[in-house]
Amino acid sequence: MRSESQPDYMRRLKLDADELANRRRFFGITQEDLERLGALRPVAERHMTSIIAGFYDLLLEHPRTREFLGDPQLVNRLQRAQQSYFLGLFDGRCDLAYVEDRLRVGHVHERVGLPLKWYLGAYNRYLQLSAAALRKELPLAEAQLAEASLQRLVFFDLALAVDTYVAAQIETVARHRAAVDELSTPVIRVFDRVLLLPLVGTIDSARAQGIMETVLKRVSDQEAKVMIIDIAGVAVVDTQVADHLLRATAAVRLLGASTILTGISPQVARTVVELGVDISAMHTRSRLADGIELALSLLGRKITAAAS
Amino acid sequence: MIVLETCALPIDSEDDVVRVRTRVRDLAQRLGFDAFAVAAISTAASELTRNAWVHGHGGTATVEEVEEGGRHGVRLQFHDAGPGIADLPRVLKGGFSTRRSLGLGLSGTRRLVDDFEIESQCGVGTHIVVAKWARFGART
Repeated sequence: MRSESQPDYMRRLKLDADELANRRRFFGITQEDLERLGALRPVAERHMTSIIAGFYDLLLEHPRTREFLGDPQLVNRLQRAQQSYFLGLFDGRCDLAYVEDRLRVGHVHERVGLPLKWYLGAYNRYLQLSAAALRKELPLAEAQLAEASLQRLVFFDLALAVDTYVAAQIETVARHRAAVDELSTPVIRVFDRVLLLPLVGTIDSARAQGIMETVLKRVSDQEAKVMIIDIAGVAVVDTQVADHLLRATAAVRLLGASTILTGISPQVARTVVELGVDISAMHTRSRLADGIELALSLLGRKITAAAS
Repeated sequence: MIVLETCALPIDSEDDVVRVRTRVRDLAQRLGFDAFAVAAISTAASELTRNAWVHGHGGTATVEEVEEGGRHGVRLQFHDAGPGIADLPRVLKGGFSTRRSLGLGLSGTRRLVDDFEIESQCGVGTHIVVAKWARFGART
Protein backbone atom coordinates (compact mmCIF):
# COMPACT_ATOMS: atom_id res chain seq x y z
CA MET A 1 0.00 0.00 0.00
CA ARG A 2 1.71 3.15 -1.15
CA SER A 3 0.30 6.63 -0.88
CA GLU A 4 0.20 8.72 -4.02
CA SER A 5 2.88 11.15 -2.94
CA GLN A 6 5.50 8.65 -1.90
CA PRO A 7 8.37 8.32 -4.32
CA ASP A 8 9.30 4.86 -5.45
CA TYR A 9 12.17 4.27 -3.06
CA MET A 10 12.18 0.55 -3.80
CA ARG A 11 13.20 1.22 -7.36
CA ARG A 12 15.42 4.15 -6.55
CA LEU A 13 17.36 2.23 -3.92
CA LYS A 14 17.44 -0.83 -6.20
CA LEU A 15 15.82 -2.88 -3.47
CA ASP A 16 15.10 -6.16 -5.19
CA ALA A 17 15.26 -9.72 -3.86
CA ASP A 18 19.03 -9.79 -4.34
CA GLU A 19 19.66 -6.59 -2.46
CA LEU A 20 17.33 -7.72 0.31
CA ALA A 21 19.19 -11.01 0.68
CA ASN A 22 22.48 -9.11 0.78
CA ARG A 23 21.29 -6.76 3.45
CA ARG A 24 19.81 -9.54 5.57
CA ARG A 25 23.08 -11.42 5.39
CA PHE A 26 25.09 -8.35 6.29
CA PHE A 27 22.93 -7.49 9.29
CA GLY A 28 22.92 -11.16 10.34
CA ILE A 29 19.17 -11.57 10.28
CA THR A 30 18.34 -15.28 10.27
CA GLN A 31 15.05 -17.11 9.94
CA GLU A 32 15.54 -18.04 13.60
CA ASP A 33 15.60 -14.37 14.56
CA LEU A 34 12.38 -13.73 12.70
CA GLU A 35 10.63 -16.74 14.23
CA ARG A 36 11.78 -15.73 17.70
CA LEU A 37 10.39 -12.24 17.22
CA GLY A 38 7.20 -13.59 15.63
CA ALA A 39 6.57 -15.72 18.70
CA LEU A 40 6.86 -12.63 20.89
CA ARG A 41 4.09 -10.76 19.13
CA PRO A 42 1.60 -11.13 22.03
CA VAL A 43 4.20 -9.65 24.39
CA ALA A 44 4.78 -6.81 21.94
CA GLU A 45 1.07 -6.10 21.71
CA ARG A 46 0.79 -5.89 25.49
CA HIS A 47 3.65 -3.40 25.80
CA MET A 48 3.12 -1.49 22.59
CA THR A 49 1.28 1.49 24.01
CA SER A 50 3.70 2.18 26.82
CA ILE A 51 6.79 1.71 24.66
CA ILE A 52 5.55 4.10 22.01
CA ALA A 53 4.49 6.57 24.66
CA GLY A 54 8.02 6.38 26.12
CA PHE A 55 9.47 6.88 22.67
CA TYR A 56 7.44 10.04 22.11
CA ASP A 57 8.13 11.24 25.66
CA LEU A 58 11.77 11.49 24.68
CA LEU A 59 10.91 13.41 21.51
CA LEU A 60 8.55 15.71 23.37
CA GLU A 61 10.73 16.43 26.39
CA HIS A 62 13.67 17.50 24.27
CA PRO A 63 13.12 21.11 23.11
CA ARG A 64 14.64 20.68 19.66
CA THR A 65 12.56 17.66 18.75
CA ARG A 66 9.44 19.07 20.38
CA GLU A 67 9.51 21.88 17.83
CA PHE A 68 9.05 19.34 15.11
CA LEU A 69 6.15 17.70 16.84
CA GLY A 70 4.31 20.87 17.80
CA ASP A 71 1.12 19.84 16.05
CA PRO A 72 -0.87 17.33 18.19
CA GLN A 73 -2.54 16.00 15.05
CA LEU A 74 0.84 15.24 13.56
CA VAL A 75 1.89 13.45 16.76
CA ASN A 76 -1.29 11.38 16.59
CA ARG A 77 -0.61 10.41 13.02
CA LEU A 78 3.01 9.57 13.71
CA GLN A 79 2.06 7.54 16.77
CA ARG A 80 -0.31 5.45 14.70
CA ALA A 81 2.45 4.93 12.16
CA GLN A 82 4.77 3.97 15.00
CA GLN A 83 2.29 1.37 16.30
CA SER A 84 2.17 -0.38 12.99
CA TYR A 85 5.94 0.00 12.73
CA PHE A 86 6.49 -1.50 16.16
CA LEU A 87 4.20 -4.48 15.63
CA GLY A 88 5.88 -5.01 12.27
CA LEU A 89 9.06 -5.93 14.13
CA PHE A 90 7.16 -8.91 15.53
CA ASP A 91 5.56 -10.08 12.31
CA GLY A 92 8.22 -12.73 11.90
CA ARG A 93 9.06 -11.64 8.38
CA CYS A 94 11.62 -9.54 6.60
CA ASP A 95 10.58 -9.59 2.96
CA LEU A 96 10.19 -6.95 0.27
CA ALA A 97 6.77 -5.88 1.57
CA TYR A 98 8.38 -5.38 4.97
CA VAL A 99 11.13 -3.27 3.41
CA GLU A 100 8.59 -1.13 1.57
CA ASP A 101 6.73 -0.54 4.81
CA ARG A 102 10.00 0.53 6.54
CA LEU A 103 10.82 2.93 3.75
CA ARG A 104 7.42 4.51 4.20
CA VAL A 105 8.12 5.15 7.89
CA GLY A 106 11.44 6.77 6.98
CA HIS A 107 9.72 8.83 4.32
CA VAL A 108 7.06 10.12 6.75
CA HIS A 109 9.72 11.33 9.19
CA GLU A 110 11.83 12.84 6.45
CA ARG A 111 8.80 14.67 5.09
CA VAL A 112 7.98 16.32 8.41
CA GLY A 113 11.60 17.46 8.54
CA LEU A 114 12.73 15.49 11.59
CA PRO A 115 16.55 15.64 11.45
CA LEU A 116 18.18 12.26 11.16
CA LYS A 117 20.17 12.70 14.41
CA TRP A 118 16.99 12.92 16.48
CA TYR A 119 15.47 10.04 14.59
CA LEU A 120 18.49 7.83 15.31
CA GLY A 121 18.66 8.95 18.93
CA ALA A 122 15.02 8.11 19.42
CA TYR A 123 15.60 4.62 18.02
CA ASN A 124 18.10 4.07 20.79
CA ARG A 125 15.36 4.81 23.31
CA TYR A 126 13.13 2.43 21.42
CA LEU A 127 15.58 -0.42 21.88
CA GLN A 128 16.04 0.34 25.59
CA LEU A 129 12.31 0.38 26.25
CA SER A 130 11.79 -2.82 24.33
CA ALA A 131 14.66 -4.52 26.14
CA ALA A 132 13.20 -3.53 29.51
CA ALA A 133 9.80 -4.96 28.52
CA LEU A 134 11.36 -8.20 27.30
CA ARG A 135 13.25 -8.64 30.56
CA LYS A 136 10.08 -8.17 32.52
CA GLU A 137 8.33 -10.90 30.55
CA LEU A 138 11.04 -13.47 29.84
CA PRO A 139 13.79 -15.35 31.68
CA LEU A 140 17.07 -13.48 31.27
CA ALA A 141 18.71 -15.83 28.74
CA GLU A 142 15.66 -15.78 26.49
CA ALA A 143 15.27 -12.04 26.85
CA GLN A 144 18.87 -11.55 25.79
CA LEU A 145 18.39 -13.68 22.69
CA ALA A 146 15.25 -11.76 21.81
CA GLU A 147 17.04 -8.43 22.36
CA ALA A 148 19.83 -9.48 20.03
CA SER A 149 17.34 -10.50 17.33
CA LEU A 150 15.42 -7.27 17.79
CA GLN A 151 18.58 -5.22 17.60
CA ARG A 152 19.58 -6.81 14.32
CA LEU A 153 16.21 -6.07 12.80
CA VAL A 154 16.10 -2.52 14.15
CA PHE A 155 19.53 -1.79 12.68
CA PHE A 156 18.33 -3.21 9.39
CA ASP A 157 15.41 -0.78 9.61
CA LEU A 158 17.68 2.09 10.52
CA ALA A 159 19.74 1.53 7.40
CA LEU A 160 16.55 1.79 5.36
CA ALA A 161 15.52 4.97 7.17
CA VAL A 162 18.91 6.52 6.47
CA ASP A 163 18.56 5.47 2.84
CA THR A 164 15.25 7.29 2.50
CA TYR A 165 16.79 10.42 3.96
CA VAL A 166 19.77 10.22 1.64
CA ALA A 167 17.56 9.52 -1.38
CA ALA A 168 15.41 12.53 -0.52
CA GLN A 169 18.52 14.72 -0.22
CA ILE A 170 19.86 13.53 -3.55
CA GLU A 171 16.53 14.32 -5.13
CA THR A 172 16.55 17.81 -3.60
CA VAL A 173 20.04 18.45 -4.94
CA ALA A 174 19.00 17.26 -8.39
CA ARG A 175 15.98 19.57 -8.31
CA HIS A 176 18.13 22.52 -7.29
CA ARG A 177 20.62 21.67 -9.98
CA ALA A 178 17.84 21.74 -12.57
CA ALA A 179 16.62 25.08 -11.23
CA VAL A 180 20.12 26.53 -11.30
CA ASP A 181 20.67 25.23 -14.82
CA GLU A 182 17.56 26.98 -15.92
CA LEU A 183 18.63 30.24 -14.31
CA SER A 184 22.25 29.99 -15.31
CA THR A 185 21.91 31.20 -18.89
CA PRO A 186 19.51 34.12 -18.74
CA VAL A 187 19.85 35.65 -22.17
CA ILE A 188 18.49 39.19 -22.14
CA ARG A 189 17.61 41.23 -25.19
CA VAL A 190 19.07 44.67 -24.44
CA PHE A 191 18.38 46.22 -27.82
CA ASP A 192 17.12 45.16 -31.19
CA ARG A 193 19.56 42.42 -32.34
CA VAL A 194 21.75 42.82 -29.24
CA LEU A 195 21.69 40.07 -26.62
CA LEU A 196 23.31 39.99 -23.20
CA LEU A 197 24.34 36.91 -21.26
CA PRO A 198 25.50 37.69 -17.71
CA LEU A 199 27.49 34.72 -16.41
CA VAL A 200 27.71 34.09 -12.68
CA GLY A 201 29.55 31.47 -10.64
CA THR A 202 31.43 28.48 -11.88
CA ILE A 203 31.44 27.26 -15.44
CA ASP A 204 31.97 23.53 -15.54
CA SER A 205 31.79 21.39 -18.67
CA ALA A 206 28.09 20.61 -18.31
CA ARG A 207 27.21 24.25 -17.85
CA ALA A 208 29.48 25.37 -20.67
CA GLN A 209 27.61 23.07 -22.99
CA GLY A 210 24.27 24.48 -21.85
CA ILE A 211 25.56 28.01 -22.34
CA MET A 212 26.73 27.22 -25.86
CA GLU A 213 23.37 25.72 -26.82
CA THR A 214 21.34 28.56 -25.33
CA VAL A 215 23.52 31.24 -26.88
CA LEU A 216 23.38 29.74 -30.36
CA LYS A 217 19.65 29.17 -30.19
CA ARG A 218 18.91 32.70 -29.04
CA VAL A 219 21.28 34.33 -31.54
CA SER A 220 19.61 32.39 -34.31
CA ASP A 221 16.00 32.84 -33.09
CA GLN A 222 16.36 36.57 -32.59
CA GLU A 223 18.62 37.14 -35.58
CA ALA A 224 21.01 38.85 -33.22
CA LYS A 225 24.07 40.62 -34.55
CA VAL A 226 25.86 41.05 -31.23
CA MET A 227 26.12 38.78 -28.22
CA ILE A 228 27.51 40.46 -25.11
CA ILE A 229 28.87 38.03 -22.53
CA ASP A 230 29.44 39.63 -19.15
CA ILE A 231 31.79 37.70 -16.86
CA ALA A 232 31.84 40.08 -13.89
CA GLY A 233 30.25 37.33 -11.77
CA VAL A 234 32.58 34.52 -12.82
CA ALA A 235 34.88 33.62 -9.95
CA VAL A 236 37.89 32.39 -11.88
CA VAL A 237 38.71 32.50 -15.58
CA ASP A 238 41.05 29.62 -16.18
CA THR A 239 42.03 28.07 -19.50
CA GLN A 240 38.90 25.94 -19.59
CA VAL A 241 36.56 28.89 -19.10
CA ALA A 242 38.54 30.84 -21.70
CA ASP A 243 38.33 27.87 -24.03
CA HIS A 244 34.52 27.74 -23.64
CA LEU A 245 34.23 31.46 -24.30
CA LEU A 246 36.39 31.21 -27.42
CA ARG A 247 34.38 28.28 -28.75
CA ALA A 248 31.14 30.15 -28.15
CA THR A 249 32.62 33.14 -29.99
CA ALA A 250 33.65 30.99 -32.94
CA ALA A 251 30.19 29.38 -33.13
CA VAL A 252 28.41 32.72 -32.84
CA ARG A 253 30.58 34.08 -35.63
CA LEU A 254 29.45 31.24 -37.88
CA LEU A 255 25.93 32.57 -37.39
CA GLY A 256 27.10 35.98 -38.58
CA ALA A 257 27.15 37.68 -35.19
CA SER A 258 29.96 39.11 -33.04
CA THR A 259 30.73 38.53 -29.41
CA ILE A 260 31.71 41.18 -26.90
CA LEU A 261 33.23 40.11 -23.61
CA THR A 262 32.63 42.52 -20.73
CA GLY A 263 32.97 42.63 -16.97
CA ILE A 264 36.68 41.83 -16.99
CA SER A 265 38.33 42.72 -13.70
CA PRO A 266 41.99 43.77 -13.56
CA GLN A 267 42.82 40.46 -11.83
CA VAL A 268 41.13 38.43 -14.54
CA ALA A 269 42.85 40.47 -17.26
CA ARG A 270 46.26 39.79 -15.78
CA THR A 271 45.58 36.11 -15.10
CA VAL A 272 44.36 35.51 -18.63
CA VAL A 273 47.45 37.18 -20.10
CA GLU A 274 49.77 35.16 -17.86
CA LEU A 275 47.99 31.98 -18.80
CA GLY A 276 48.86 32.87 -22.38
CA VAL A 277 45.28 32.71 -23.62
CA ASP A 278 44.74 34.68 -26.82
CA ILE A 279 41.29 36.20 -26.72
CA SER A 280 41.84 38.59 -29.62
CA ALA A 281 39.01 36.78 -31.44
CA MET A 282 36.58 38.53 -29.11
CA HIS A 283 35.82 42.18 -28.71
CA THR A 284 36.46 43.04 -25.08
CA ARG A 285 35.44 45.89 -22.85
CA SER A 286 36.04 46.24 -19.16
CA ARG A 287 32.58 47.56 -18.31
CA LEU A 288 29.21 46.34 -19.47
CA ALA A 289 28.13 49.90 -20.35
CA ASP A 290 31.09 50.20 -22.75
CA GLY A 291 30.17 46.84 -24.22
CA ILE A 292 26.64 48.03 -24.96
CA GLU A 293 28.00 51.18 -26.62
CA LEU A 294 30.31 49.06 -28.74
CA ALA A 295 27.41 46.78 -29.67
CA LEU A 296 25.38 49.73 -30.86
CA SER A 297 28.27 51.11 -32.87
CA LEU A 298 28.65 47.71 -34.54
CA LEU A 299 25.02 48.15 -35.62
CA GLY A 300 25.73 51.70 -36.82
CA ARG A 301 23.90 53.33 -33.95
CA LYS A 302 24.97 55.32 -30.95
CA ILE A 303 23.69 56.72 -27.71
CA THR A 304 23.53 60.53 -27.68
CA ALA A 305 22.45 63.01 -25.07
CA ALA A 306 18.89 64.23 -25.53
CA ALA A 307 18.71 67.71 -27.01
CA SER A 308 17.67 70.09 -24.27
CA MET B 1 60.55 25.84 4.61
CA ILE B 2 58.13 25.17 7.45
CA VAL B 3 54.67 23.72 6.80
CA LEU B 4 52.26 25.42 9.17
CA GLU B 5 49.03 23.86 8.03
CA THR B 6 48.16 21.12 5.60
CA CYS B 7 44.94 19.83 4.19
CA ALA B 8 44.59 16.99 1.70
CA LEU B 9 41.54 17.06 -0.56
CA PRO B 10 40.49 14.21 -2.84
CA ILE B 11 40.02 14.91 -6.52
CA ASP B 12 37.39 12.56 -7.79
CA SER B 13 34.88 14.68 -9.61
CA GLU B 14 34.75 17.89 -11.60
CA ASP B 15 33.12 19.55 -8.58
CA ASP B 16 36.38 19.18 -6.70
CA VAL B 17 37.84 21.90 -8.92
CA VAL B 18 35.62 24.39 -7.12
CA ARG B 19 36.21 22.81 -3.72
CA VAL B 20 40.00 22.97 -4.00
CA ARG B 21 39.94 26.45 -5.52
CA THR B 22 37.70 27.86 -2.77
CA ARG B 23 40.00 26.45 -0.11
CA VAL B 24 43.03 27.96 -1.81
CA ARG B 25 41.39 31.34 -2.25
CA ASP B 26 40.35 31.46 1.41
CA LEU B 27 43.88 30.61 2.54
CA ALA B 28 45.48 33.17 0.20
CA GLN B 29 43.12 35.86 1.46
CA ARG B 30 43.81 34.92 5.05
CA LEU B 31 47.55 35.28 4.39
CA GLY B 32 47.03 38.81 3.10
CA PHE B 33 47.73 38.11 -0.59
CA ASP B 34 46.79 41.03 -2.85
CA ALA B 35 43.90 40.61 -5.30
CA PHE B 36 46.20 39.72 -8.21
CA ALA B 37 48.01 37.05 -6.22
CA VAL B 38 44.71 35.61 -4.97
CA ALA B 39 43.44 35.38 -8.55
CA ALA B 40 46.72 33.84 -9.72
CA ILE B 41 46.94 31.08 -7.12
CA SER B 42 43.17 30.34 -7.34
CA THR B 43 43.44 30.02 -11.11
CA ALA B 44 46.52 27.80 -10.77
CA ALA B 45 44.59 25.59 -8.32
CA SER B 46 41.74 25.43 -10.80
CA GLU B 47 44.02 24.42 -13.68
CA LEU B 48 45.99 21.81 -11.79
CA THR B 49 42.97 20.23 -10.10
CA ARG B 50 41.22 19.94 -13.45
CA ASN B 51 44.37 18.49 -15.01
CA ALA B 52 44.55 15.85 -12.28
CA TRP B 53 40.89 15.05 -12.88
CA VAL B 54 40.82 15.09 -16.68
CA HIS B 55 44.27 13.67 -17.50
CA GLY B 56 45.24 11.89 -14.28
CA HIS B 57 41.82 10.32 -13.62
CA GLY B 58 41.70 11.95 -10.19
CA GLY B 59 44.08 12.02 -7.25
CA THR B 60 44.70 14.36 -4.35
CA ALA B 61 45.32 18.04 -3.89
CA THR B 62 47.24 19.11 -0.79
CA VAL B 63 46.79 22.72 0.25
CA GLU B 64 49.47 23.98 2.60
CA GLU B 65 50.34 27.13 4.42
CA VAL B 66 54.12 27.43 4.45
CA GLU B 67 56.70 29.83 5.81
CA GLU B 68 60.24 30.53 4.72
CA GLY B 69 62.51 33.33 5.84
CA GLY B 70 59.61 35.15 7.47
CA ARG B 71 57.47 35.02 4.34
CA HIS B 72 54.20 33.16 4.26
CA GLY B 73 52.97 31.32 1.23
CA VAL B 74 50.52 28.85 -0.20
CA ARG B 75 51.96 25.59 -1.45
CA LEU B 76 49.85 23.20 -3.48
CA GLN B 77 50.72 19.61 -4.28
CA PHE B 78 48.88 17.57 -6.84
CA HIS B 79 49.25 13.83 -7.06
CA ASP B 80 47.67 11.58 -9.58
CA ALA B 81 48.28 7.99 -10.64
CA GLY B 82 47.27 8.61 -14.22
CA PRO B 83 49.15 7.80 -17.44
CA GLY B 84 51.79 10.49 -16.87
CA ILE B 85 53.00 13.06 -19.38
CA ALA B 86 55.06 11.64 -22.25
CA ASP B 87 56.60 14.81 -23.64
CA LEU B 88 56.99 17.07 -20.66
CA PRO B 89 59.16 19.79 -22.30
CA ARG B 90 56.63 20.18 -25.09
CA VAL B 91 53.69 20.38 -22.70
CA LEU B 92 55.49 22.97 -20.58
CA LYS B 93 56.17 25.07 -23.66
CA GLY B 94 52.42 25.46 -24.15
CA GLY B 95 50.04 25.08 -27.03
CA PHE B 96 50.16 21.29 -26.96
CA SER B 97 47.03 19.39 -26.10
CA THR B 98 45.93 15.79 -26.32
CA ARG B 99 42.29 16.74 -25.90
CA ARG B 100 41.64 19.59 -28.28
CA SER B 101 41.68 22.12 -25.45
CA LEU B 102 43.88 25.19 -25.44
CA GLY B 103 46.84 23.23 -24.10
CA LEU B 104 47.95 26.15 -21.98
CA GLY B 105 47.13 24.74 -18.55
CA LEU B 106 50.61 23.78 -17.38
CA SER B 107 52.63 26.42 -19.21
CA GLY B 108 50.20 29.13 -18.13
CA THR B 109 50.06 27.92 -14.55
CA ARG B 110 53.83 28.06 -14.38
CA ARG B 111 53.70 31.80 -15.08
CA LEU B 112 51.03 32.35 -12.43
CA VAL B 113 53.05 30.97 -9.52
CA ASP B 114 56.45 31.67 -7.93
CA ASP B 115 57.67 28.07 -7.60
CA PHE B 116 56.80 25.26 -9.95
CA GLU B 117 58.06 21.69 -9.90
CA ILE B 118 56.78 18.75 -11.86
CA GLU B 119 57.64 15.08 -11.91
CA SER B 120 55.88 12.77 -14.26
CA GLN B 121 56.52 9.18 -15.17
CA CYS B 122 54.65 7.33 -17.86
CA GLY B 123 52.35 4.73 -16.38
CA VAL B 124 53.07 5.88 -12.83
CA GLY B 125 51.55 9.32 -12.50
CA THR B 126 52.28 12.98 -12.06
CA HIS B 127 53.29 15.03 -9.05
CA ILE B 128 53.21 18.81 -9.26
CA VAL B 129 54.22 21.24 -6.52
CA VAL B 130 53.57 24.96 -6.86
CA ALA B 131 53.89 27.82 -4.42
CA LYS B 132 52.92 31.45 -4.31
CA TRP B 133 54.40 33.76 -1.69
CA ALA B 134 52.87 36.74 0.04
CA ARG B 135 54.75 39.98 -0.43
CA PHE B 136 56.83 41.15 2.49
CA GLY B 137 54.78 43.19 4.87
CA ALA B 138 51.56 41.35 4.07
CA ARG B 139 49.40 40.58 7.07
CA THR B 140 49.89 37.03 8.25
